[in-house]
Amino acid sequence: MSVTEHDMHVPLEGGSHETPQERHRMEHIALWLFIGGDAFFCVLEIFFWFYLRSLNTNGMWRGTNCSKANACTDGLGNPLTHPIAKAAAVNTLLIAVIMLASAAVIWFAEVQAREGATRKTTTPLIGLALLLSLGAIAYQIIQFQILPFTTIDGTYASTFEFFMGSNLAHFGLVAFIGTGLFLRSRKGKFENGSWYHLHLSRLWWVWIALSTTVLAIVSVFFA
Amino acid sequence: MTIAAPRLEDTKLGPKAGGLYRHQSFFVALPFGIFTAFIGWLVSHALLQNSNWGSDMVVTVTFVSWVIGFNAGIGTFNAPFRWLRGKDQTHDDHLYAAGVGQGWKRYWKYCTDHKVVGTQYLVLVMTLFFVGGTLAMMIRTQLITPHSQFLSPQTYNAIVTVHGMVMIIATIIMVSGPFANFILPIMLGAKDMAFPRLNAMSLWVVVSAVPPILSTFVLGGTDSGWTTYAPLSVQSPPAQDAFSITIITFVVSVTVAGINTIVTTFTMRTKGMSMSRLPIFVWGSIVAAAVGLYAMPAFLMAHSALITDRVVGTSFYAPAQGGAGWLYENVFWIMGHPEVYVILLPAVGAILEVASTFSRKPLFGYKVMIGGIIGVGVLSIMVWAHHMFTTGWAPSLADPFMLTTELISIPTGIIFLCIIGTIWRGSIWTKLPMYFLYLFLWNFIIGGVTGIYLSDVPADQYFHGNMFVTAHFHYTLLGGAMIGATGAVCYWFPKMTGRMLNERVGKWAFWFIAIGIQITYYGQFWEGFEGMPRRVANYAPLFETANQVSTTGAYILMTGWLILLYNIIHSWHKGEIASANPWHAKSLEWHTLTPVPLENFLVDPVVTSDPYGYGEPGSVPGAPAPEPAVVGASSNQGGSH
Repeated sequence: MSVTEHDMHVPLEGGSHETPQERHRMEHIALWLFIGGDAFFCVLEIFFWFYLRSLNTNGMWRGTNCSKANACTDGLGNPLTHPIAKAAAVNTLLIAVIMLASAAVIWFAEVQAREGATRKTTTPLIGLALLLSLGAIAYQIIQFQILPFTTIDGTYASTFEFFMGSNLAHFGLVAFIGTGLFLRSRKGKFENGSWYHLHLSRLWWVWIALSTTVLAIVSVFFA
Repeated sequence: MTIAAPRLEDTKLGPKAGGLYRHQSFFVALPFGIFTAFIGWLVSHALLQNSNWGSDMVVTVTFVSWVIGFNAGIGTFNAPFRWLRGKDQTHDDHLYAAGVGQGWKRYWKYCTDHKVVGTQYLVLVMTLFFVGGTLAMMIRTQLITPHSQFLSPQTYNAIVTVHGMVMIIATIIMVSGPFANFILPIMLGAKDMAFPRLNAMSLWVVVSAVPPILSTFVLGGTDSGWTTYAPLSVQSPPAQDAFSITIITFVVSVTVAGINTIVTTFTMRTKGMSMSRLPIFVWGSIVAAAVGLYAMPAFLMAHSALITDRVVGTSFYAPAQGGAGWLYENVFWIMGHPEVYVILLPAVGAILEVASTFSRKPLFGYKVMIGGIIGVGVLSIMVWAHHMFTTGWAPSLADPFMLTTELISIPTGIIFLCIIGTIWRGSIWTKLPMYFLYLFLWNFIIGGVTGIYLSDVPADQYFHGNMFVTAHFHYTLLGGAMIGATGAVCYWFPKMTGRMLNERVGKWAFWFIAIGIQITYYGQFWEGFEGMPRRVANYAPLFETANQVSTTGAYILMTGWLILLYNIIHSWHKGEIASANPWHAKSLEWHTLTPVPLENFLVDPVVTSDPYGYGEPGSVPGAPAPEPAVVGASSNQGGSH
């Protein structure tokens, strides 16, 4: 459903009886509630990280207590005899930076749409944000391939890869929304003040960028 | 009432209205889901079977494919993908999705009309209770003698696990599904829920969550109980993967439904329906939805990590690889205790509606009660670790958690006193819903008081893990919440079906249920006092008499539920036709036609007083208001019973 905020006289396309402003308020509240739930999930991820790190059961956070004399075992029963190498910080942080950049671009696209820009301005910007989010997905997959550990190498490795999996799921949702925004922008759906979906999407997009950044900071600086 | 104006449901739709929805229904979704599950199984079996976690991966991929396929088949993804392509729905599309022109077939489809969704939920809940109840009877039959061979220990464990979780799922949605969907928007004077498509989505997603958990029986059974404590659940057969898929899918449904309920309440109230005039059922529902938004991410996190432990070899919960079972317990109970109030609060709200209507009195302490409901909701998130007193986790935190748990009895007690205050010296009209109100009060006081024992660290050292706990939470969830929900069914049945529930048969059901509950769970308290552990297929002869008492009670209870089920089905088809307001109640749902029109009211109602002004001057009349529906401005007709 396309809704506009600037013109109360544009009829909704069916089914809804609320004014556009009322519809916006509904969607706004719903989005913030959804972000709230997702934020709590993010908090729980961080809780997992610090809980397991502080507990360091059997020295298996990063295998720091493992040695040939005291060989810990991984999830397959193979002995671990040395600490697990940390993931390269630059990759983790760069993924977060790419998501922050894509959020900034979509925000800029929203600002442009609010100021009355046509599809010729908003579509390339949304396309750029979409490309950046797809880039973050690709980079995240590459990071999976080049990590110096796998999921079975202790709790640091497990939690780190869980963060990455969570990122991927969220980026996928962002890319889905970004694709929709891009196709709708091409059809001029955000012209003439009809920027509201762009605004809602931007809120979600920024939240994902921020949560990715928080997870990156935790996993890089508190390993 | 004769309506001259054409109704929305009589609208003639264009031949292409609805688009893809026209070809979708449960009967398409089911084979399509099975087909995608088969493809998922085929591909994963070919590619992943020989990997380190082969069968777990195969089961997971298969059931994820099922959930996606079923929801694609029913129409869950139509609107998002239409939006993706930049195509908006037309007015006709919306009306088609709302079920216009489809008759009874709309009950098998992705229908956006909140009343259809509510009815679908009611049928789903009854089905789940039938399944869960059947499993309960198998458990009690096994326990009738100390060394019964009726079930093998493995099968018994699998049945206990599935019984627990099916019942938890059913009780979470038993009020918030049927009544927060069907009744709540009408109570607010709204035309529908805020997000009708999300509403239908919440229903069909939870439908797709059911087959995985039922399939656990053919996947080796999961033997870790409904709590699926790690690391036992990490080591369980592949059935555990299906179990976790059910949980993850269910979380999506409850989250979406909760957001919808809150947004509907905050944004779609009719003119004059201020927050201080909200029906108490709405308060119960939105606080429960808010608590659910806090609890469900924890459920998601607990089972996401569990499934990755099993499927890709992470080590969150396995101590041998650096994990901690306590971590699972913490996250599980961060969900688990608030979830009790997600179940309970809407049922309390519903039973309070019954209390006021059938006592012909205003609610006693309306604002205090709202405080009590919010207080319960807030405190419920601070008590989770009382489930872990005996695990050895953080003994220094036992006292604070004992305190917070005991504190929660204060707002609960306030609610209880308000119910008593409402019916005190009322002009009681003892109809079937009122019977269940009395039973609710009796059971809930027992469930509540025995809960205080369990919140007490020294007493919990003895009772933890024994049948006392089982009796306590059955008194609370079955005796309290489920009986409250049954009262709600009896109360709103005429509005939802257009027919009256048979009172005589209903009272037979009531007495079987009331007596059955007492015998079943007194028997289990007895077992608990004697020290019988939970979740055992065989037991020492010492506990035989108590178990026989409990099993006898369970059969009486089952008889009551079956009579009630018969009554619901029979009355739904052949019951006496109900008037629009058979209880002469004052809240808005009783002031519209039965059957309720597509957008609930022919003219938008205007509210000028709260819905409980029985016996008060200037309160609402006890019959459907003529157009325009101005509620609360007319003279009083209350107190006639």
